[in-house]
Parts: sequence; C-alpha cells; structure tokens
Amino acid sequence: MKDCESGNSHADHLIVERVTKNFAGLRALDSVSLNLKRGEILGLIGPNGSGKTTLINVITGLLPLDSGRVFIGEVEITNKPPYEIARAGLGRTFQTIRLFRELTVMENVEVAAVSRGCSRKEAKRRALQAIEELGLEGWVGRLAGELPYGLERRVEIARAFALQPDFLLLDEPAAGLNEEESDELLNMLAPIPQRKGLGLLIVDHDMRLIMRLCHRLHVLSYGKTIGEGTPEEVRRIPQVIEAYLGKRAAGG
Amino acid sequence: MKTQNAILLWLKSHTTPFLLSIPLLLLAVLVQAFGGTLLIRIVTVLFINLVMVLGLQVFMGNSGILNFAHIGFMGIGAYTSVLFSMTPQAKAATLPDLYPFLRPIHLPFLPSLLIGALAAALVAALVGYALMRLSDAAAVITLFALLVIIHTILVHWSIVTNGPRTLFGVDNYTTLGISAFFGILIIFIAYLFKETPVGLKLRASRDDRYAAASIGINVVQVRWAGFVLSAFLAGFGGGLWAHFITSFSPYAFYLTETFSILSMLVIGGTGSVSGAVVGTVVVTFLREALRAIENSANIAGLFQNNLVGFTEVFLSILLILILIYRPSGILGSREIRLTSEDLRSVTASSQTDRPVPSSTKEGKHV
Repeated sequence: MKDCESGNSHADHLIVERVTKNFAGLRALDSVSLNLKRGEILGLIGPNGSGKTTLINVITGLLPLDSGRVFIGEVEITNKPPYEIARAGLGRTFQTIRLFRELTVMENVEVAAVSRGCSRKEAKRRALQAIEELGLEGWVGRLAGELPYGLERRVEIARAFALQPDFLLLDEPAAGLNEEESDELLNMLAPIPQRKGLGLLIVDHDMRLIMRLCHRLHVLSYGKTIGEGTPEEVRRIPQVIEAYLGKRAAGG
Repeated sequence: MKTQNAILLWLKSHTTPFLLSIPLLLLAVLVQAFGGTLLIRIVTVLFINLVMVLGLQVFMGNSGILNFAHIGFMGIGAYTSVLFSMTPQAKAATLPDLYPFLRPIHLPFLPSLLIGALAAALVAALVGYALMRLSDAAAVITLFALLVIIHTILVHWSIVTNGPRTLFGVDNYTTLGISAFFGILIIFIAYLFKETPVGLKLRASRDDRYAAASIGINVVQVRWAGFVLSAFLAGFGGGLWAHFITSFSPYAFYLTETFSILSMLVIGGTGSVSGAVVGTVVVTFLREALRAIENSANIAGLFQNNLVGFTEVFLSILLILILIYRPSGILGSREIRLTSEDLRSVTASSQTDRPVPSSTKEGKHV
C-alpha cells in the first residue's frame, strides 16, 4: 500500500508575511502578516469587505498575490497552484459551500484521502473517522447534493479533515446555521486542534462562536490589520470597537 | 478465507457491470445462434457503438466536459489499424503512394487494433495536456476544433488515407463474437475506471474544480488521464469498426457519427456506465426501426416525394425532448445495481473494526 501520511511538512507554523493584494485600483489586502500555530484556533474577523476571504484565497493559491510571502514552516507556498498548497498540508472550506454534489457523502470525504495517495480501502477508513467526528454516520450513502444545508457545511469540514492537513482555514463555517446548529458545530470543532495537532483559522461573523472558540483573534478592516490578541484584549482595542460599532462608541 | 470474503463483499457492492453485461451476452449468443445476416450485422454494430459510447463516457461522464473530438480519435484508430492489418497487395492497390516502410508490414488483427488504439491515445496525450487546462465552453469549442483538425488531416493526408476517396481492401475480421467480447470488456473497464483513485478524483473535479484543487487534486492531470484512456478506447472502437465495414472514407469520422454517438450517451445518461449502455441499446435499435419505417414508407410510395432524413429528425427531436425533460438522461448518474446505496455504506462501515473515538461522543453532550 502506498504511504499516505499526513502533512508532509509537519511544520509548526503557517506564516503569512506582509501580503498585499490589489483588485484593479482597490487595495484588498495591505501588508497583512499573521502567524498560525498548530494546536491553536485563530479567529479572523472584520467588517464586510475587510479582506478576510481574499486573505484565505491568497494563502490557498486561488488568487495570486501582488507582494508578500506565505510559508508552511520552512516551505514557501507563495503563488503555488492550489493543489500543491493543499498537498503541502493546508486545507480549507469555502464561504459558498462547494461539495461534489453527484458523489455520495462517503466519496466526498474519501476522495480527499485518496488525493493524498491513500488506497481506496485506507481512504474509506480515514473518511469514516472524519465522518464520525462530524456526526454524519447516518448520511454516508446519500448524494451530497441531497443533503440539508446544515449538514453540507459539516461534509465540507469532514472532507477537509480527511485531507489530514497541518493547517485548516474555515471560511464562515457557521454562516446560515441557526443557534442550535452553530452550538453543535462549536462543540465539534473545539477539541479538534489539540487532538489532531492542527492549526485552525476561522472566519466568521458569529461573534458568539468566535469569542467562545478562538484562542487568538486577528482583526482586519479595509485590508489592514487593526488588532491582534486574545478575545479579551481585542475587545478593548479602540480601532476594533470603531470598526464594529462606529466612531462615537469608540470615543465614549 | 479473509481475501475470499473481501472479494465477495466487493462483488456485492459492485454488481453493475455484471447486471449490464449478462443481458447483452445473452443477446449476442441468441442472435449468433438464431439471427439472420441483418440482425447479426445490427448487433455487431451495437457492440461497436458500445465501445465508442463507453469510451466517450469515460472522459465526458467523469470530467463533465463535452468531448466533440471523440470521433476524431476513432478515425485515427481506424486508419492506423488498417495500415498494419492490410496485406501488402491490398495496400499496393488502394494506397499506391504509401511510405515504403509501411508497405511490407502485415500484422494480425489484434496487434493492429492495439496499435490503432495506442496511436489515438498518443495524439490525445500530446494535445491533451494543453487542452485539459480549459473548462466549460472554452474546452468544448477547442475539442470541436480538434475534431475539425483531425478530419482535415485525414482528408488531405492522401499517402496514408487515400484522401477523401474511399479506402478499400480491408479484411473483415470483426465478427459478432469479437465485437461482443470487447463491448462487454469495456463495460467493465469503464465501470472500474470510475472507481479507481483517478476516476474518483476526476468525478470530484467534474462537480467542483475549485474544491477538488483545495483537497490536493491536480485537475489537469486527472482530466488528462481520462482523456487519454477515452481516446485509447475510441481508437480501439475505430479499429473494430474499420474491420467490420471494410471500406470507408474520412467522412465516416465526422459530424454525423459524432452526433450519433453523442446522442446515445446523452439520451442514456452521461453520468453513469449504465446510462451509456442503455442509451446505446435504445438508440441503436430505435434507429434501425426508424430506418425500416423510412424504407417501407418509400417503397410503398406513401408520400409524393421520398422520405429522407426521417430517422435523424426523429432522433434529434428525441434528443431535444430528453435535454428539456430529463437533462441528465434516462438513467442520470445512477448505476443499475442489486444492492442499494445504503447497503453499500453499511458494508463500508463494517470494514472498520475500530471503536468510535470517545471524544466525539462526549463532544456532542458538552
């Protein structure tokens, strides 16, 4: 059987160094730097249009960046094709769910392990583990296109788990979920980074989820970093309050 | 014992190719035993069509890219295989200007078929890596252009193809038995390809190429693999057809045939091997029936002018209706199988003897 070990780099850090990205005249990311450690959950927050999704797309190679560099440990992944970045140990989910709709839930998750070079049998074993972690056992044989919305999110996350990345970027995993579903997701995600030794970066607008889940926060506004630190620290930064609540609240 | 069980389990969850091939095998045996010349010819063509349609399904069904170039590869396979299988005398008669090194070559049927298939695969491999970077409409247009290019070369490369004129003197090797054997073999090849790692990755890239890349799939590479295999099968089918029809011109490998093979796949269902098989059977017999109606109407003089193109018009209308009301074909992406999908998943989970990680269970109650 082919070796299909996870994360060939086994790096401790995902490092983003002064990344800049322009869309025509618009500066979507302005010299943004961040550092994601394995085992931690980092929240990436900011108002609409602040560049969160752009940052994820730039890191994962979906969009070329204009300047700056991205590393997984020692390995530079700047402007590499997305599939190479994934193989280097970086997984992601999408803001608008992207599942393989004509494949079963099982195949959706399995194919991520297969693309790591696992045999179908070993891939099935890994897929089942990821499926159990996200509570999808009852849905394995269903086509992904037939699932209820809340479960689609979980299949996407299970698929990313089956890739066995060192770092995982979740783009609004709680978008469109009700409070109950969002809590369920939170409980599933919370123990994962420690258990898997995985660095997790989460973008979300659900502040309740972010504040409870994340060890550290990184705040963007108009493509610039305006704050970093623990949730408590970030809550006290004037620029953050201003970005979220307006100037008057910050002044008062 | 354990491997025996594993094989049984695998067979149980992969009944599709058996269910598809057993009725076809029966049909072949019955027609061989009791059928007249015409019926034997029709069923022989049916199996050759099956090779072509399944070859098309391998790429188009799994990658989601409409492939107009398929029949071009059939032409490459047909011409290449006959260049190797024809006797030197026949070559001298029909291709007097043939390159000297090709003149004395005279290989048996099967090696010639394989060489034809390999030639088609080689061309696909060379042009494929660039083409497979394209998706959607851009890919379709370029593949159509490739069909035109191949056709133009076949028409003008007189030294090896006899130009636009008919090439004759090919021996008739493709019997019903041979075409049935390969038709059924290719059912298994097409089905197994879907289940290989490459086939699975290709299907994933069909549904969403960005998500596929995000889990480490090199979309261009898996598409290329599917494209080359598909061209190989098309080349093989072309060789089978050439040694059945025995005289043909480059016009046999152009729009009419493209439409015919494409309509079989689309009517049956692009997404599944079952759909490809059902579509081939339905359309092949339907076409023969329509042709019979057309002929008898003309003989009986039912209309003032002869009825021309009735078959094509009827099939086109059927194709349009299918595209409107069942865009994924008669069977869609479902495979015919004995066990349900649910049973498959049960057998899948029974393969792991590992207990559920306790932390997951706790996680739910936090």
